[in-house]
Amino acid sequence: MNEEKDCAFVVEGKMALPYQYFAGAVGSQFIVSLRDDKRILGVRCEKCRKTFVPPRQTCERCFASLADQWVEVGPAGEVTGFTVIRYAEPYQPKEPPYVLALIKLDGADTPLAHILECGDVHKARIGMRVRAVFSEEPKDTILGIAHFEEERP
Amino acid sequence: MGKEKEGQELIVSRQILSIPQHFSTGPVMGRFLAELRDNKRIMANRCPKCGRHQLPPREVCAICHVEATGWDELPPVGTIRDFDVIYYASPDPLTGETRQVPYVLCWVDLDGTQGDAPFWHLLDVDDLSKVRRGVRVRLVFADDRHGTTDDIRHFEIIPDEPVEGGIAR
Repeated sequence: MNEEKDCAFVVEGKMALPYQYFAGAVGSQFIVSLRDDKRILGVRCEKCRKTFVPPRQTCERCFASLADQWVEVGPAGEVTGFTVIRYAEPYQPKEPPYVLALIKLDGADTPLAHILECGDVHKARIGMRVRAVFSEEPKDTILGIAHFEEERP
Repeated sequence: MGKEKEGQELIVSRQILSIPQHFSTGPVMGRFLAELRDNKRIMANRCPKCGRHQLPPREVCAICHVEATGWDELPPVGTIRDFDVIYYASPDPLTGETRQVPYVLCWVDLDGTQGDAPFWHLLDVDDLSKVRRGVRVRLVFADDRHGTTDDIRHFEIIPDEPVEGGIAR
């Protein structure tokens, strides 16, 4: 059996996953506003008194169409939760370690997940006031906001 | 990325994620793949109890559940037992490129197996009407071999060879 065990080796392979993501009418408006106007938009359901960021086509509670109920929110807000990313894999937006935070923007009722730059990952805190930093280059993704940083008093 | 529709720019993101994989062959598949790569030989392992060949080889006989320790070289010729003609243009996992269709996958009973070895590979054929059960085929090895099943480039139909009548022999 020793001879057979010598035969074992590792085959390097790949798995390719092509995909297309369609942002849709509402998602596209959100991304284009980030890119062209550096404005963060949400949609508001007046009946339920709730503002959704990122925006959604219909209210999750009353199912009313919110496609044209745009309101501007932020660009500052509050951290409602966070995690520290410590492993590396391709397609991550940046090198670990970094903080991925849930940020409830001023005027919004739902949190937005994004990168939080606060120097040291140990400085991230729930309740922290943060502000959006927009990308220098135009981006057709949520990375139209480059990251959030701690708001200076 | 975006395109105009009734004045609104719609965002579409297209990406191909490529996820690295590491397949550890183990001793049995390792020997099979090493023989393909180094010696262009097809090795099947043999059950000491029932005597059947397993191809691709596996450590334990699927029927008797005993360790299959014997090894035999099989000839690179066989008979089509079953086949699929694929018209769905799926991506090649190694490159992400869309495959050209139609293409044919076939189950070949290599001479010396007992008709229960699910040995599937590509069949290179220009005329789909030639693909039938019982057609005799031979194996074509790749020039560059790296210890994967792609070391077999494909099967091809042996010209002027009589078609076998039954499925099993």
